[in-house]
Amino acid sequence: MISFRNRLLGGCAAVLIALGFAAGGALAADVTQERLLNADQEAGNWILHHKDFSAHRYATLDQINAGTVKNLKVAWTVQLGGIEGGGIWSHGGLEGTPLAEDGFLYVTDGWGSVYKIDTHGGEGKLVWKMDPKTDHDWAGAIACCGVDNRGVALWGDMVVSHTLDGRLVATDKESGKVLWQRQIANPDKGEVVTGAPLVVKGMAITGVAGAEYGIRGWIAATDLKTHAEVWRTYTIPAKGEPGSDTWKDDHNAAANGGGSTWVTGSYDPSTNTIVWGVGNPGPDWDSAYRPGDNLYTDSSLAVDADTGRIKWHFQHTPNDPYDYDSVAENVLADVNGPHGAMKIALEADRNGIGYAVDRTTGKFIWATPFVKKLTWTKGVNPETGKPMEYDASKGQQIYNPEATPTRTNKVTIICPGNMGGKNWPPTAYNPKLQTWYIPVIESCNRVTVEETVPGKSYKSREFFTGGGPSNPIKITGSVTAIDAATGKITGKFETPFPMLGGLLATPDLVFAGQPDGHVMALDAKSLAKLWDFNTGGGVSAPPMTFSVDGKQYIALLVGQGGAWDKWFVDGTPELKKIAPSSTLYVFGL
Amino acid sequence: MRRDGNTRSSSLLVLGWFVVAALLAITGGMARAQPAAPGPVDLELGKKLYRANCAGCHKWHGNGGGGYGGDALSLRHTTLDRDQVITTIGCGRPGTGMPYHLRDAYEGDEKKCYGLGQKDLSPGMVLAANAFLRPGEIGVIADYVLARVKGRGEPGYDDCLEFFGAGSRVCNIFKSPVEGGPAAAPPGK
Ligand code: HEC
Repeated sequence: MISFRNRLLGGCAAVLIALGFAAGGALAADVTQERLLNADQEAGNWILHHKDFSAHRYATLDQINAGTVKNLKVAWTVQLGGIEGGGIWSHGGLEGTPLAEDGFLYVTDGWGSVYKIDTHGGEGKLVWKMDPKTDHDWAGAIACCGVDNRGVALWGDMVVSHTLDGRLVATDKESGKVLWQRQIANPDKGEVVTGAPLVVKGMAITGVAGAEYGIRGWIAATDLKTHAEVWRTYTIPAKGEPGSDTWKDDHNAAANGGGSTWVTGSYDPSTNTIVWGVGNPGPDWDSAYRPGDNLYTDSSLAVDADTGRIKWHFQHTPNDPYDYDSVAENVLADVNGPHGAMKIALEADRNGIGYAVDRTTGKFIWATPFVKKLTWTKGVNPETGKPMEYDASKGQQIYNPEATPTRTNKVTIICPGNMGGKNWPPTAYNPKLQTWYIPVIESCNRVTVEETVPGKSYKSREFFTGGGPSNPIKITGSVTAIDAATGKITGKFETPFPMLGGLLATPDLVFAGQPDGHVMALDAKSLAKLWDFNTGGGVSAPPMTFSVDGKQYIALLVGQGGAWDKWFVDGTPELKKIAPSSTLYVFGL
Repeated sequence: MRRDGNTRSSSLLVLGWFVVAALLAITGGMARAQPAAPGPVDLELGKKLYRANCAGCHKWHGNGGGGYGGDALSLRHTTLDRDQVITTIGCGRPGTGMPYHLRDAYEGDEKKCYGLGQKDLSPGMVLAANAFLRPGEIGVIADYVLARVKGRGEPGYDDCLEFFGAGSRVCNIFKSPVEGGPAAAPPGK
């Protein structure tokens, strides 16, 4: 039955899409690889997590523009759930990007419930809610950084989503019934899943979190037809594999080496390559425990979409003693500038530096610090892309000695702080202006090192961090704009609070949310603030845009998520008063 | 510049705790009538309150643990007695991450906690709990900590099941440990 229906719809899809484009809107059709490849051209829809495979988060809709944005107001809201706590967390939060197709929104709450919302007729009506009944205790006890879920993927007639307790769930788009599910990650090992799946060629790509619990990170591909795993690529090489010699200790540190992958990556169809970010090594701050560069932690990793084979990598912070993940999305851009035409991958690293590499080879092009204060290194070597102080002959890297936590420099202030100059909140890229916008956390914090004891310090489902951060210094934020061709900073709009939600770009605007509740629109060129609205709840999710009934809207989840209020709030004491909440806000003219 | 300032204030915090520790030794902590030692001990209520108010930092098993922002001490290994546990819950520990749970701990002229009032503390020196507890509730939690947490060895399956009950997979790990731990992780591709 189901397959018959699929075939029928599949056959019609091409026609429907053609009609949809001709009519300037979109009509109901199964989601196919073809549609995903052209997701940027479905102007009123948003059918991939980062809008398109290149992770631009750029929409061409322009009813809401520099001239009209001052009239933007709340069109409607929908209250969601998932606010309850679990494990070590007192509440769940919202970090998701809504997807939009044909006037229907698909959003998630922190515990992985999926909501389908009909937006026709100028209001939001809940069509269905799929509650995956996430095991709160099992997952919540080992989620390092909050009860989070960053959204769904669409494929065929399914909505594909993750749960914190490590499942991949396929839900019928019409009825909201669970069609099938599969356990992908294992919380018994400290693994949880917070990122949205990326669907490439009928496979759901899953990343994992848990480097603070001594996991061995991976990226996995699941065939959405057979439900079987197609490949799983570990981010920490096994003994004897290329890169395993970058773990030079004699106590198998690589076994708990971390390297999580909890932010959705991007895909380059021209080379059939998935580019995905890899997180910090474990233990986070005791780098003497794991001498060597610790591949592929803190790297952008390019893998073949069909096999998962590693094609290239670019590592940002070898032998990282700071917790400077490189989980961030890679923005794939074709730019023209002083270096000629380039196919680049852009990554805004937690270490406070934005990088451009050649996305077909991983070769370094430029690097630019995007934070106001960066103390851990003197800068990036323009030849190699490595930090200036990097010394390949050394096991343990000491960058700026004053700002490098070690067993002898046990209490250290680092800038950016360990939450990074930019954390998971996504950047946005305006291809017309060749401008890349980074949601910045302008921060320093204090790291205290605790020595890790081989054979003793690791316990499954317990922290394996080799120390911890504290936050005695005020933390603020900015939206920082960079010319993608040259790497030059072209603007910085400073904000009183760190950017914990991510960005959206439209032809002449940039949208952002703040953890104090404010949502704003900036001018794409000058970064002047053109509009501001206080949602009254903490924003830690990215804005997106869609259209329905011929009208453009901005949608945003509001509900303090993530780790900030537990681990970092001392750096922003004003945010202590923000209450947990769970609301979808939609704005229109 | 800024960095110096902060380093100084952090060492002040630590210094502050030594002063408080000394005061604690002298005054015996919370100079106030303690909730009476209980008749029948309500361990179920104690567990519920512990779960809601303490487990976020000390973990379900009470061992707390270093790591990401938290360095809550082990309540399994604690040597504190009932009164001292009650004082610690009610008054918190100035200069550390242990928050006070008694609404008026540092209010008024009574100086119930370590002989300190609001004026004796620099701002942010002692953290307020997310939710305050009544003295009776603090007593119930202390009884729970003494009966079920303090002095127990490493947490195991039975402790875990006792805490969570059935219905969650959270205790699986104690029954069927992940094979050989992650050291035996399967080879990568
Ligand atoms: C926000 C995190 C946090 C919460 C919530 C918290 N604690 Fe603590 N607790 C700590 C930290 C950190 C310490 C260590 C203080 C120190 O270094 O002296 C501590 C210390 C203690 C101690 C002293 C142990 C010893 O042997 O000296 C006791 C007892 C205690 N906590 C009980 C509790 C109880 C019971 C609760 C719930 C009502 C609770 N705590 C809630 C963080 C927390």
